[in-house]
Amino acid sequence: MTMSLDVDGLRKSFNGRSVLRGVDLRVKPGEIFAVIGPSGAGKTTLLRIVDLLLPAEAGAITYDGREAPIEAAPRLALRRRLSMVDQNPRLFRGTVFYNVSYGLCVRGFEGPELRLRSIQALETIGLLDRLNARTTDLSAGEAQRVAFARAVVFHPDLVLLDEFTANLDPANVTILENAVREFNRATGTTVILVTHDMFQAKRLGRRIALLFDGHIVEDAPVDQFFENPRDPRTRAFVRGEIAY
Amino acid sequence: MAGDIVEITLLSLFVSGTSTLVATAIAVPLGIALGLREVGSQRLLRNILFTLYGLPPVLAGLLVFLLLSRGGPLGFLGLLFTPLGMVIAQVVVVTPIVLGITMSVVATVEAKIKDTSVVLGADSGQLRATVMREAAAGILTAVMVGFGRAISEVGAVFIVGRHIEGQTQVLTTTIITDIEQAAYADAIAIGIILLLIAGLVYSLLYRLQERTLQ
Amino acid sequence: MHFDAPRRVLAILVALVIVLVAVGALLSNVGTTRAFILMATTTSTRDTGLLSVLLPGFQEDTGIEVRYVAVGTGQALDAGRRGDVDVVMVHAPPLEDRFLAEGHGVCRNALMFNRFIIVGPVADPANVAAASSAVEAFQRIAQNQSRFESRADNSGTHVKELEIWNLAGLNVSSFGVWYERTSQGMGATLTIANERDAYTLSDDGTWFAREGALPFLRTLYVGSEPVVRNDYSIIPVNPAIHPTIQVEKAVAFARWLVGVRAQGVIASFAVNGHRIFTPNPGGNC
Repeated sequence: MTMSLDVDGLRKSFNGRSVLRGVDLRVKPGEIFAVIGPSGAGKTTLLRIVDLLLPAEAGAITYDGREAPIEAAPRLALRRRLSMVDQNPRLFRGTVFYNVSYGLCVRGFEGPELRLRSIQALETIGLLDRLNARTTDLSAGEAQRVAFARAVVFHPDLVLLDEFTANLDPANVTILENAVREFNRATGTTVILVTHDMFQAKRLGRRIALLFDGHIVEDAPVDQFFENPRDPRTRAFVRGEIAY
Repeated sequence: MAGDIVEITLLSLFVSGTSTLVATAIAVPLGIALGLREVGSQRLLRNILFTLYGLPPVLAGLLVFLLLSRGGPLGFLGLLFTPLGMVIAQVVVVTPIVLGITMSVVATVEAKIKDTSVVLGADSGQLRATVMREAAAGILTAVMVGFGRAISEVGAVFIVGRHIEGQTQVLTTTIITDIEQAAYADAIAIGIILLLIAGLVYSLLYRLQERTLQ
Repeated sequence: MHFDAPRRVLAILVALVIVLVAVGALLSNVGTTRAFILMATTTSTRDTGLLSVLLPGFQEDTGIEVRYVAVGTGQALDAGRRGDVDVVMVHAPPLEDRFLAEGHGVCRNALMFNRFIIVGPVADPANVAAASSAVEAFQRIAQNQSRFESRADNSGTHVKELEIWNLAGLNVSSFGVWYERTSQGMGATLTIANERDAYTLSDDGTWFAREGALPFLRTLYVGSEPVVRNDYSIIPVNPAIHPTIQVEKAVAFARWLVGVRAQGVIASFAVNGHRIFTPNPGGNC
């Protein structure tokens, strides 16, 4: 249902350019944890490493206190407790229902239970009436909402959101933020939210971290982060003085 | 020396249809598995495949002839000058084509789709199934191209089948023997039948393809 | 549900393939001895049309069906060498002698002969029509350097053509561009000669069958000396080559072909009104 995540001294470079230079994070079970920072700071890289899509160069990540297994079967079992949504989702060819139920089918659900859970997920994002619509008929906002439902329908223990409302109009942003909040409340899933939008971070996050220059320079509860940050860079970033 | 035109047409469909299905059963699963592998290791394989695209059907026919002749390694099967022998020859011709197109189509399925499947927890078998579903239209194209090659080629079936009356006469070999005997009008008529048959099979496959694109 | 489709499709595919291959095996007599005997003969023989009147007669008299592959002479004899056929019918005595000497045949029966004739352009620039022998005709063609189409395919006709050049004291490797090699069968070579106003050596059977489609050629030399005889033989293949060879049926066929009924059919067979075959039964089968 939930998971804790600990990152220690994570390092990663691309083509000799060092992106993550020793990142430390502590995410408690059930927390909505926001990570903000300038473009190119490595936020997406961080999420992709946590989601087992990229290898780290140095450092450790532990999930509920244990490192990711190396053998295929236990590694797959861990992977199935994680999920991610980014800002340019690609829906599978077919219907909304096919997409939303995908992760359930992967995990062996079938029949009435599969259908029921898919319907519930669609209800939280307000698209139940589009159950059998073809994905090609959806607007960008609707597609993003379907992608979100698809990613959480199987109740992952940790959900990674990478600028997942970046290109959407305010109405869809609201629907999705409400869905995240509701989902976190109902299932206790841990959420890590990477965002450009400081206000979104403030609205959703319980803790916020600033990723800057390859490090986490500040990591605090939301109110303290904005009203009384320790690091001068945080102050400057919050005031918009550090360029995106 | 043309036997019953209905028999000849049915045998053409049987030989080319069977060889296309066999080639598909071999090449599509293999093509999906290979198309999903890392790009680097594919280069050598791609080069071999592209060379095999150019494998002349006559050469395939010659190789299968030597294989199936009673003097050859598979002679005990007694398949030279038989319909099944012709099927084998066409399988050699068609498989590289279906394999190559399938590999290409699978490789060009957006990396994002594969990523998304993996992120949602798919294991390798489920990933292959998803990719196959996404690439279905392209895979059907591969099958259609393969069938087109089979139904229209004459080198392989002529060398291995030898146009025996009542046994191994197909549309393309009948055209050749009609020309040899200066029966040009007959040859053109057979050619028209061939085009009609091919057109019919294609329209059925197109309909199938449309359903996969919905 | 999401991942069943490929498995289902593959299962259907494999089931279809199994059924079709089984049907194919049935059509191909896999695992059983052929109900018919398989003969290798030449495209020229096929083109005369004789086989479609001769073979049904054998089936009527003995119940044995004969099917044949029509290929070049070289390949016909090779099919016998490999054991892919039960009996060989060709018309190339030197090559047949070698075939028998190498032990690939059980015996040989002579069947019939037709003739080689020289055809050429209607205008006859080399004046072949005035020749009194095939050898002289060839000498005239070489002297005039008139275009000549050679089959150049080791067929009986080709072997005969080389024999005549040899008797004329000429060596084909010294010929200029007027001597063209088609590497194809008689019908195709005649078509080419017709298109290119060339001379060629043809068996009379193919010529009479195709005459109507060859308006730019005519017969220029028709003789009866031994060198223009085209002798046909039938040779059952040696069963030692491969255990599946049906030698008894093949020998029965060879014997039937020199019998009264077969020879009668051969004698009366006409191509477009011309009786081309002279019965010539003989041999040791």
